[in-house]
Amino acid sequence: MAAKKLRRAQLSQEMCERLSRYQITTCQDFLCLSLLELMKVTGQSYYEVQKLLCKVSRACAPKMQTAYEMKLRKSVNPSSAFLSTTLHSLDRVLHGGVPCGSLTEITSPPGCGKTQFCIMLSVLATLPVSMGGLDGAVIYIDTESAFSAERLIEIAANRFPAYYDSDEKLLCMTRSIHLYRELTCCSVLKRIMSLEEEIILKKVKLVIIDSVASVVRKEFDTKLQGNLAERSNFLTRGASVLKYLAEEFSIPVILTNQITTALSSGPGVRADLVSPADDLSLSEGSSVSGKRDSAYVTAALGNTWSHSVNTRLILQYHDLPTRQLLVAKSPVAPFSTFFYTIEKSGLVLQDLNLMKSTLLFQSQDE
Amino acid sequence: MDHSGRRSADTDGCKWDAGKRRDSVRWCFVLLASLEIGISREEALEALQVVRQECHGDTARTPGGSGATRKCTALELLEEEQTQGFIITFCSALDNILGGGVQLTKITEICGAPGVGKTQLCMQLAVDVQIPECFGGVAGEAVFIDTEGSFMVDRVVDIAAACVQHCHLIAEAQQEEDHGKALETFSLENILSHIYYFRCRDYTELLAQVYLLPEFLSEHSKVRLVVIDGIAFPFRHDFEDLALRTRLLNGLAQQLIITANDHRAAVILTNQMTTRIGQSQSTLVPALGESWGHAATVRLIFHWDNTQRLATLYKSPSQKESTIAYDITVSVPVGRDMPSWVTLSPGKDCTQI
Repeated sequence: MAAKKLRRAQLSQEMCERLSRYQITTCQDFLCLSLLELMKVTGQSYYEVQKLLCKVSRACAPKMQTAYEMKLRKSVNPSSAFLSTTLHSLDRVLHGGVPCGSLTEITSPPGCGKTQFCIMLSVLATLPVSMGGLDGAVIYIDTESAFSAERLIEIAANRFPAYYDSDEKLLCMTRSIHLYRELTCCSVLKRIMSLEEEIILKKVKLVIIDSVASVVRKEFDTKLQGNLAERSNFLTRGASVLKYLAEEFSIPVILTNQITTALSSGPGVRADLVSPADDLSLSEGSSVSGKRDSAYVTAALGNTWSHSVNTRLILQYHDLPTRQLLVAKSPVAPFSTFFYTIEKSGLVLQDLNLMKSTLLFQSQDE
Repeated sequence: MDHSGRRSADTDGCKWDAGKRRDSVRWCFVLLASLEIGISREEALEALQVVRQECHGDTARTPGGSGATRKCTALELLEEEQTQGFIITFCSALDNILGGGVQLTKITEICGAPGVGKTQLCMQLAVDVQIPECFGGVAGEAVFIDTEGSFMVDRVVDIAAACVQHCHLIAEAQQEEDHGKALETFSLENILSHIYYFRCRDYTELLAQVYLLPEFLSEHSKVRLVVIDGIAFPFRHDFEDLALRTRLLNGLAQQLIITANDHRAAVILTNQMTTRIGQSQSTLVPALGESWGHAATVRLIFHWDNTQRLATLYKSPSQKESTIAYDITVSVPVGRDMPSWVTLSPGKDCTQI
């Protein structure tokens, strides 16, 4: 929209030629100038320039819709608004599952199950709509080379044994998951920019980037001067393209992030903490003791990135093999905690109270 | 008086020049007249005005093209301020520190860390602005300009449903006639139809939309709230030229102030927080730089203290700085005094300097 040529904004040919002499060819160039500069460049009076501004603005302003129209449009296809994770309590809290049209982030320390979760979601996305899936292809951008096709098949076969009853169905599913290995920030960004065509061509319904943090933290050292700004720049650029893709095509975009331990030298750094849910030392059952003055763990990539994602799920260790899943940021859900284990069929939610009571019965029987 | 010189200089800059010349001529004229002819300055001024009217006719156009004069006495302003409504947020503590609620004709900025509730409050206000006057609202409509894509229709539906239910409870308890009539038009469908939503994907679209805002508000004269959710997001990347960014932001702020005043609307902007690295520590400050701090009249900062959400009134011309605690709940109004989505945590009302 911003790069729209002025010719298409219905300005007269003469005006466009005159402006191009000053290197003003797109709507963006035109709107960035001040009134005085515009008057000088167009040679028109104050009021004429106002009218021209309105014309150009009308060419690139967004269309208006009322909230009511949006609601009606949503109620027409309700099932395509979420990707159900088949973890029922989580789906209930998130009002359906991973939301389509926005960015969801999964953060965790290493080995907690981020990649497992992503692989499980790729299987779910290829399922037909009747089973809660999105019936589409998946684009998986892998920066850590952690994707395992065998694990993919294992999860699919064990989670939906009735559906994937033949090898052929499994192979068909694997054909619709497109894997891209990108190892640098630059290549990741290039890949994100080229995703639009792929999404249309291959009828993609889910985009996963595993993980954003590993490439960014390799290349940007925030202790060096200027790197923090560059990193923010890269992240916001990537985030805005991904948001555009998510909204245009109404698909969920899933990103994974890492945990960082920040060493604080005093109370001043506490201000860096963006949300208590992000401070894993505050959540229940965490193994990190409450040593507030020395160190605390939080999601990596800074708070500019935290602003850009719409939903944030945090995975962390509890009492092995049980792990914990927190809903840390969501426009529709409050803070919630769930416990899960990783099985052959992927992630399985556990009801901790139920587990405790069965253990109690067991010990009483003995 | 040189007419041709004035006509071609139809710009602000030249008007000032011409005005200066005119003034200097006028000065001389009045003084001269009073000295030479021996009449008092007031009489000379009167004579000058008569002459000027005959020469100029009505070619003088008011700056800004709005037609309304922008000057008034403080008394008129006081009367206006006292009768003007506020947009209540339904969190009594928040309304208190704001002096009654979100003020019309002013720009209020809400800064906060991610996930703290800025968009929630904006969606709440987009519903609250539509509350009928008999319930204490301003009965207006809302424009929602979204740059981050965090507007959730489902959540707005929840908030609107709770608000309607809350008003029904009040009407039942008070049993007044106009309450019933107002409730007929205050329905979920109507509320949603009067939230005008624009999704701007980059700063050019945002600039364009703000340029077109006066026209839109003239067509929809009942709009009393303009929300720009995420003024920082489109300006935080792809901007090597910080000077350009400052200029564009200032221009935006100016236009929004003019729009707010001309149409008696409240403007709400949400801003992000960014980390400022100091020598020994880093602090969280509102994004977009120091000069942006001047743009808003009222500044609210939402932040955390352990697990408690706090709102601090950071800048206001009429209220003092203070902090309150709030929570975001799933809206379930229980009684007449129960705020619909934001409840006050018991016993936490701290004042902060």
